[in-house]
Amino acid sequence: MSTYFEFTNPTKLCSGTGAADNIAYELKMLGARKPMVLSDGVLEKIGTLSIVLNALGDLPVGRVFTEIPRDSSIDTVNRIAEEYRDYGCDSLLAVGGGSVLDTAKGVRLLISQKADDLKTLMGCESIPRGAHIPFVAVPTTAGTGSEATAVAVIKDTKAHVKMEYISTELMPDVAVLDPRMTMTLPPRITASTGMDTLCHAIEAYSCIQKNPVSDAYALTAIGLVRENLIKAVRFGGSAKARLALANASFLAGASFSNSMVGIVHAIGHALGGVCGVPHGDAMNILLPAGMMFNRKVCADSYGKLLFYLAGEEVYEKTPSRKRADRAIAEVLRLRSRLHTLTGLPQTLKEAGVDPAAFPEVAKTALNDGASIVNPRQVTREAVIRILEVCYGD
Amino acid sequence: MKKELLSGVNQIVLEALFRGFRVLYREDSRVRKEIHQWRDGLTLKLVCGPGGAVLAMRKDPEKGIARIRRAQRADITMRFKSVEGAFRVLSGQIGVADAYAAHLFFLEGDIYQTMSFVRCVEYLEAYLFPPFMSKRILKEVPEKQVSSLLVYGKALLESGR
Ligand SMILES: [Fe+2]
Repeated sequence: MSTYFEFTNPTKLCSGTGAADNIAYELKMLGARKPMVLSDGVLEKIGTLSIVLNALGDLPVGRVFTEIPRDSSIDTVNRIAEEYRDYGCDSLLAVGGGSVLDTAKGVRLLISQKADDLKTLMGCESIPRGAHIPFVAVPTTAGTGSEATAVAVIKDTKAHVKMEYISTELMPDVAVLDPRMTMTLPPRITASTGMDTLCHAIEAYSCIQKNPVSDAYALTAIGLVRENLIKAVRFGGSAKARLALANASFLAGASFSNSMVGIVHAIGHALGGVCGVPHGDAMNILLPAGMMFNRKVCADSYGKLLFYLAGEEVYEKTPSRKRADRAIAEVLRLRSRLHTLTGLPQTLKEAGVDPAAFPEVAKTALNDGASIVNPRQVTREAVIRILEVCYGD
Repeated sequence: MKKELLSGVNQIVLEALFRGFRVLYREDSRVRKEIHQWRDGLTLKLVCGPGGAVLAMRKDPEKGIARIRRAQRADITMRFKSVEGAFRVLSGQIGVADAYAAHLFFLEGDIYQTMSFVRCVEYLEAYLFPPFMSKRILKEVPEKQVSSLLVYGKALLESGR
């Protein structure tokens, strides 16, 4: 652990039954008069968006934009920023998964910094405070934790590169976690996004930037995932399990936003970019292998995780030198149960990845910012080895 | 130590970094490969605290890297928040990854491209610092392809321009 750390989470959390009903109040308190609502077509169709829109009451909406693609792109951000100005909006309300929230973050940055080109703002902790644009985030998956992070990844579709932003200026003023938002998520997506949360927490707890505050968030998140992920997959209508996972996602997001993620995310981002593997699926496939790779330098941390991954009894019965391995075994066990319940792929082969892409994936993974904070040196050879193991032949 | 003195030391180490980079571009295949990946003309700046020492350079297709004016805006700028923080890194007390984790510097520009630069610095550190230091500041000490003595010797002879 570093001798110095920072922890930022300025986002107000509104979590629980009826949380969405308070959005109008929260927006007004932030000074919003005419919010722009960002979402996607699916959420509009299945009625999730209308729960939020109905809750806005007498607050006039400037514009509802639902054409956000699966990957947040610079073109979409530019278009939305233009409409924001054209429709005279003064605030943002984002309702969606990771890509909707990341798009909203990009829009907010562009407008608050009065910039024309998002590219000029790329970087890490380099953006000074801009004009305040009230920003409320309502996540509709329990996974990315984007509502609690200072990170956004936006695609430059023309140059085929991903642009990464790390700045507290991206963080929403308010995050709203309402079980109604995730109630309709199908079991497979629930499983996949839940494993993303678990991965955020485990990597946040083992990266070199970890600190006592991010640890507390990570450990609580892991406990919530253990107690609720299988439940939410099996009984999607359980508001209690849904809310617990939404809380876990927020906690894990706040944790990794401050401690960063490691090799699993570095390779996962690359698999997404090069082979189109959905992020949560990639996390599910890579997490145990990533932990095995880091085990050499993380045995202590992983040993402590066992308490949260398996509960008190198992932790106490396991001799301390075997706890790290048992923790990895617990992750494998959870993964295999999710596979049985939902068919979530456990290997890259099942996910349809062509091994011919491995060299390209490795090259991209090495250049991912997450590699720098991984506890063990990330080398090309290590990444290729992990990919081969995860291919599962 | 006084700020001016630290800044002076920082400037000397930056000079060694620049020359060392040039030598390794010729002598170490991994560094050469990394720099080859950079687009021609890519500009990089290392700023060691407000008013502190600066290394400003660009990719040069022949020599690997060449200097640019320090006032020029660069594609990638690593900016240390303080002269003291930069000194801790340049004097080998703390590695680049730990410095990042400790928020000693911030970054303007493309994070993905910066990772390659960070790897180059880590290779260079393995040559410039004695083993007991590189072991402490690097997660894994990369193998040297030539001797440190040779790199030091050639760096002294290297043109600083
Ligand atoms: Fe993730």
